Amino acid sequence: MSFEEHLLMELKTEIAERNQRRRRVGRRLAAGAVVTGLAAAAAIAVPLLTGSETRAYAVTRNADGTIRVEVNEFRDADKLERDLRAMGVAAKVDYVKPGKMCSRDRGEIVDGQKASTWKEWRKSVSYKAARPRGAGVDVDPAYVAKGNTLVLEFTENDDQTSGPEKPRVLWRFSGTVVKGEPKPCVIVDDPEWNDLGGPEAQPPAGS
Amino acid sequence: MRLKQAKIATDPVAFEAFYRRHVDAVTRFLARRVDDPHTVADLVAEVFMAVLDSAHTYRPGLGSEIAWLYGVARNTLSAERRRLFKQSRLAVRVSGRRPLDSDDVARLEERIDAEGPARRAFAAMATLPEGERAVLELVVIDQLTVTEAAAALGIRPGTAKVRLHRARRTLQGSPFVMEGTPG
Repeated sequence: MSFEEHLLMELKTEIAERNQRRRRVGRRLAAGAVVTGLAAAAAIAVPLLTGSETRAYAVTRNADGTIRVEVNEFRDADKLERDLRAMGVAAKVDYVKPGKMCSRDRGEIVDGQKASTWKEWRKSVSYKAARPRGAGVDVDPAYVAKGNTLVLEFTENDDQTSGPEKPRVLWRFSGTVVKGEPKPCVIVDDPEWNDLGGPEAQPPAGS
Repeated sequence: MRLKQAKIATDPVAFEAFYRRHVDAVTRFLARRVDDPHTVADLVAEVFMAVLDSAHTYRPGLGSEIAWLYGVARNTLSAERRRLFKQSRLAVRVSGRRPLDSDDVARLEERIDAEGPARRAFAAMATLPEGERAVLELVVIDQLTVTEAAAALGIRPGTAKVRLHRARRTLQGSPFVMEGTPG
């Protein structure tokens, strides 16, 4: 047998082993999610972002034509991108660990001016394209022009202890519309991570 | 499309088809750069291993399969070069090569001989800045289009064109740089 055939056999064995490993990891994660869901339900009665739902995220069409995206678990970013694309929005989704962020040079932000306040930010194309609301984000395809990409970055929050008096924020969100294809996410430390006063205290990162 | 491409990393049948489609091109690509049959065989294995790790990075909009694959091969090769460098410095002896029988070695040596002119062309390009050399290599030696070369290197087609132009200007007079190497 030639070395090419031999190599092909080795590689196919490798694929089979990887598939097996993936299945094992998948089962472990599912078990973990159920435990989290139970604990959270016992403790509080506000929207559960890590509920017992099995889907990582939900995408639905609102009555006004915008698209509702609710993220339950930080996985399947690729699938979410495809679902959004099928609904007419070119999007790039990245999930980032607590204290980290994608470096801020993903591409040229549409209508470029940098908003310095939360109020200014609310007027930007990026904010109109992806508005955080409750436990999710409302995406408006009208503000993602053809050829541009909506870059959505979700950061897990490691403070999972807040109670009903202050809304549970299980993630932090950044949404920008960039011209053309965004550059890949390069993970860097988030210098503002520890100053974060809450989702309403300052514009989302990346504004 | 992206789903289909990621499938080559998880579906043995899809992978086999991909492998058979490209194993020759990858072997030749490597034989143009490395002149030892054992190292070529090891690198072919590493490139396809890297394919399993990075199948999800393929974007059909950004170029052909072969352009993407040459990009993967280039990365593997430079990792290989880095490792060789490190090993020679640390004087570590490498053992555990991929077992090749005499037919394998003969076939690989044939390939390596056939790619001799290409390897000589590399020598002529050695003086160019890395960015320009990379484009020139892929276009003139590996016969990619400028757009494909740009995709393999992760740069814009316009940038690739400018670099190619500069590289050709610098090397005016080297025939294989102005034309393309046949085959």
